[in-house]
Amino acid sequence: MKTTKVMMFLLIGLLVLSGVSAAAEPVNITVATGAVGQELEISREAAARYMELNPNVKITVLDTPDMVQDRLGLYLQFFEAKSPEVDVYQVDVIWPGDLAEHFVDLYEYGAKEVAEQHFPEIVENNTVDGKLVAIPWFTDAGLLYYRTDLLSEYGLEPPTTWEELETAAKKVQAGERAKGNEDFWGYVWQGNAYEGLTCDALEWLASNDGGSIIEFDGTISVNNPRAVEILEQAAGWVGTISPPGVIGFAEEDARAMFQGGNALFMRNWPYCYSLGNGPDSAIAGKFDVSPLPAGASGKGAATLGGWQLSVSKYSKNPEVAADVALFFASYEEQKARAIQASMNPTIMSLYQDPEVLKASPFMGSLYDVFINAVARPSTVSAPRYNEVSTLFFNAVHSVLTKKSTAADALEELELDLQDLTGLQAR
Amino acid sequence: MERQARSRRPSLAEREERLAYLLLLPTFLVILLIAIYPLGKVFHSSLTNQRFASGEQVEFVGLGNYKILLGLTIKELPPTIDEQTGKPERNPETNQIEYVRPIQVLPRQPVRYRELGQFSLLGKRYVIGASDRDFILAIGNTLVFTIASVFLETVLGLIIALVMNSKFKLRGAMRAVMLIPWAIPTVVSARMWQWMLAPTRVGIINVLLQKLEIGNGQIPFLRTDAWALPAIIAVDVWKTTPFMALLLLAGLQLIPQDIYEAAEVDGAGKVRQFWSITMLLLKPTLAVALIFRTLDALRVFDVFQVLLAQTRYSMATYNYYQLIGNREMGLSSAIGVIIFLFIFVFATMYIRLLGVESDE
Repeated sequence: MKTTKVMMFLLIGLLVLSGVSAAAEPVNITVATGAVGQELEISREAAARYMELNPNVKITVLDTPDMVQDRLGLYLQFFEAKSPEVDVYQVDVIWPGDLAEHFVDLYEYGAKEVAEQHFPEIVENNTVDGKLVAIPWFTDAGLLYYRTDLLSEYGLEPPTTWEELETAAKKVQAGERAKGNEDFWGYVWQGNAYEGLTCDALEWLASNDGGSIIEFDGTISVNNPRAVEILEQAAGWVGTISPPGVIGFAEEDARAMFQGGNALFMRNWPYCYSLGNGPDSAIAGKFDVSPLPAGASGKGAATLGGWQLSVSKYSKNPEVAADVALFFASYEEQKARAIQASMNPTIMSLYQDPEVLKASPFMGSLYDVFINAVARPSTVSAPRYNEVSTLFFNAVHSVLTKKSTAADALEELELDLQDLTGLQAR
Repeated sequence: MERQARSRRPSLAEREERLAYLLLLPTFLVILLIAIYPLGKVFHSSLTNQRFASGEQVEFVGLGNYKILLGLTIKELPPTIDEQTGKPERNPETNQIEYVRPIQVLPRQPVRYRELGQFSLLGKRYVIGASDRDFILAIGNTLVFTIASVFLETVLGLIIALVMNSKFKLRGAMRAVMLIPWAIPTVVSARMWQWMLAPTRVGIINVLLQKLEIGNGQIPFLRTDAWALPAIIAVDVWKTTPFMALLLLAGLQLIPQDIYEAAEVDGAGKVRQFWSITMLLLKPTLAVALIFRTLDALRVFDVFQVLLAQTRYSMATYNYYQLIGNREMGLSSAIGVIIFLFIFVFATMYIRLLGVESDE
């Protein structure tokens, strides 16, 4: 009995104390960010700068798994538990549609003024039912990497169409093999059955006027002759200008080959640029980037990638959390990221900033690629985008591995997408 | 008389029984809390259309999830009829009768059936359709994986255990070395094998095969249908054989040496000794080892997830994909229940077949 009384007193005492101290205690904000390359370090620096300006806020930067799917798995567990533990989430460009119900509308927290500084395509992607559920942070787009030394050696220009790419790849591949490098290939890209193939194949389709799987207005457009044509063409690369193993390649496999000097062309994201010029690269200073080649549309297309910041609906301090998110995505912070880690800003005017252009010249020359990047149909197919993408990359993969013809695969895919989403085909 | 006595004072046996139940109670409670409750919860959500981490209204769908997962149908494929002659069309090259495409025959409502395979019977052509083709294939993959890997692991494990059981120098060291593959976390070793199986000459397996003049050093093992499962099975055999060997070694050491001496005196040869003594006395250990491995193999997740991801599923990776990738909590709960039933059936079968009985 005695002990219980003592315990009660202690408990009450603790409650009173905590009530008193709450007023003076700083607001705790947890930001879940990626830790790929320099990401974590840069986020910590940004957090330190914010805390200097706002001494009453304490930001914890939480690092999350590198693999996108694992990160989503972790986030979903927080959401399922409606956990207030994480206030700000780093969100992939394909997630806002799926996860919108867990985020606050940033328009209500002061994003109105800044939204129009960002790429409109990304802002549209992050807007669900008129609510801005994520503020753009940095962006990505597919690029064509090419070897400047080899192209000039063989008297070739960077390709602007897929046909030019094929011709150049064949010529240089034959030449380099004759010289003794039997591991040399013309073109490497991401052909494994995963989200990366969705990105690559969407670029083929869009560059050939083949639509973007499901259009913004909700019509399923994937089953069309232009799409069939370009998929058959891409399937023809496997084993000719691209290694047979390209059907098992992800970004890093392609980069390993290109950076090792064993490929003429590579499709990849901007992150390879600084790595390719790094001290351990066999091709430092011997490569450049250009927009991806064009098909029948006459214009190359790049898939939109990149990351946003969202504020959890379950946060205890949504105002402060939103302020932190907007600070991280502000002009100065995006500039710091662009210069230090060559991460593409989402604020348009940064592409004219001389310091940014000095650090990563391609950001200036390829501005058009970034602003015209094609979004994956994630918002229109939400909350089923992941299944849509899985069906799409498996259909494309079956064409690449010659298990199915492009016409059959896309016909089946169209039916599958109709059943899954309830949307109509064109 | 006796009855009255009992009602007055419980017998010793009864009191002991009561005490036993009392002492077992905490264990029952723990089992109820950590096994029965979650199982019941999974079973319950398998009857709904619940979505993971979503505020959407949850509806009761009965056995709908199971119907989708296990839905199979067989339809006859009619031959394509030439409009002019009215006769079945034939392939001009092989002179085989051409059939209509399965997509035109398989039902689309209320769920779409996808082609699983075709077969001919009594001169007619049939197509098998599945409403969730990936899951049916996942069951097939898991069963093939389980049977092949457990068989190989048992045979190899037994051989290794017999060798380890004989007396030779450095036996202790060898036993420790043998366990290294088992000590490496599966995700790490799977990743290691992924590099070794790389689809270009970066991977050592491709280099070795090319030296032996098999392939051109560009075989995408994990993305080729014929190679994918054998590769996965090889990885698992490499990893788990030591575990099997260790279990069997423990069993071998329990067999008293004098039985062999007696057999020797009676004139039984080594082969006879092996089958009549070693195998017979090893049976209980073997049964336990087989149950362990089979149940483990049926739940296989990590090798499949790391090496094959979304290209080919085991039941467990398909479950994960539906829960995390597609957030279909109801459907993935149903998959969990089906895996549970599979394991239950296998366990019962083993216990019956191998005569592992309780003490009673």
